[in-house]
Amino acid sequence: MTSMHDGHDGHNTFPVSSKVSEFEILELAVRELAIEKGIFSAEDHRRFAEWADGVGPHGGSKLVAKAWSDPAFKEKLLTKGTEACKEVGIDWLQPTGTGTPSDYTFFYVLENTPKVHNVIVCTLCSCYPRPVLGMSPDWYRTPAYRRRMVNRPREVLAEFGLHLPDDVEVRVHDSNQKSRFMVMPMRPDGTEGWSEQELAEIVTRDTMIGVALPDPKVRVPVPAGEVHQ
Amino acid sequence: MTEARRYGVLHETLDDIGERTDVSLRCIEHEPEVWESRMQVTCECLSEGGALDNLERRHLEDRLGETVYARFPVQTRSALTVAHTLMDRGFFDEEELRSKMDQVREKMTVD
Repeated sequence: MTSMHDGHDGHNTFPVSSKVSEFEILELAVRELAIEKGIFSAEDHRRFAEWADGVGPHGGSKLVAKAWSDPAFKEKLLTKGTEACKEVGIDWLQPTGTGTPSDYTFFYVLENTPKVHNVIVCTLCSCYPRPVLGMSPDWYRTPAYRRRMVNRPREVLAEFGLHLPDDVEVRVHDSNQKSRFMVMPMRPDGTEGWSEQELAEIVTRDTMIGVALPDPKVRVPVPAGEVHQ
Repeated sequence: MTEARRYGVLHETLDDIGERTDVSLRCIEHEPEVWESRMQVTCECLSEGGALDNLERRHLEDRLGETVYARFPVQTRSALTVAHTLMDRGFFDEEELRSKMDQVREKMTVD
């Protein structure tokens, strides 16, 4: 069992548990030392933490669901990505007014078609569109994914259970310091008449990375309303 | 490229987290724990403050994670790399980190 308590100095929240992991301890120790040494402040950390808690794949899910339902919004999303994001409550300039040190950049949404399937990767490091997808999954950051996806994409996609027909072109998009990408999957059959909320629930994180396809039978809860960052 | 230093205080955490066991990309998937997301926040603060740039850290994660800390699960790489690099750069030393971890352990542990 774990519960959250305020630290002695009022700025730390940490789990109080009968079994605390050494990495929980290491994380807090490094953070406290960095604050004590003046590298950053507790307020800096709180501000970024608040932002990080608000981002997740539900942001991207809402974008795709809205684009599937509204052709004008889809056009805007494909041509002016960061501007379109504001319509669902995502501001790429948060949390500092200039983004995070690694995030504010150009945002491009890649539309899948019956003949083109897009996948994102970052071979250089592990750039990821966090304002719309949240924290990247561990496997996305591994060299095994980053190096192999550009060389043998079909093989890697098959490991995720995604087997594409030979006549579908696979395009691998390599992120960099200037560009972040997100995949807009095709709307699957069987979703006619669905609301944006219902549609958002089948647009999972992996479908927006490009290692999976939306399945009307696989739904992930998405908070209703605008994204709050 | 110089050989990376070995910090006992970091290697001692392996017994608690357990050795890396994933054999495929999908095996690496797991629900992030609170300390992992807080560590990413610390990374942003370090980058914004100029102590450790995010891109440089990611390259160090690759280098250290595939060598010195190869036995550790993938999700520990940011924490290990940040602690390792801040010690390399003299922001604090191994004894300071060990002492701080003892303090944190004491206040977080309930009998």
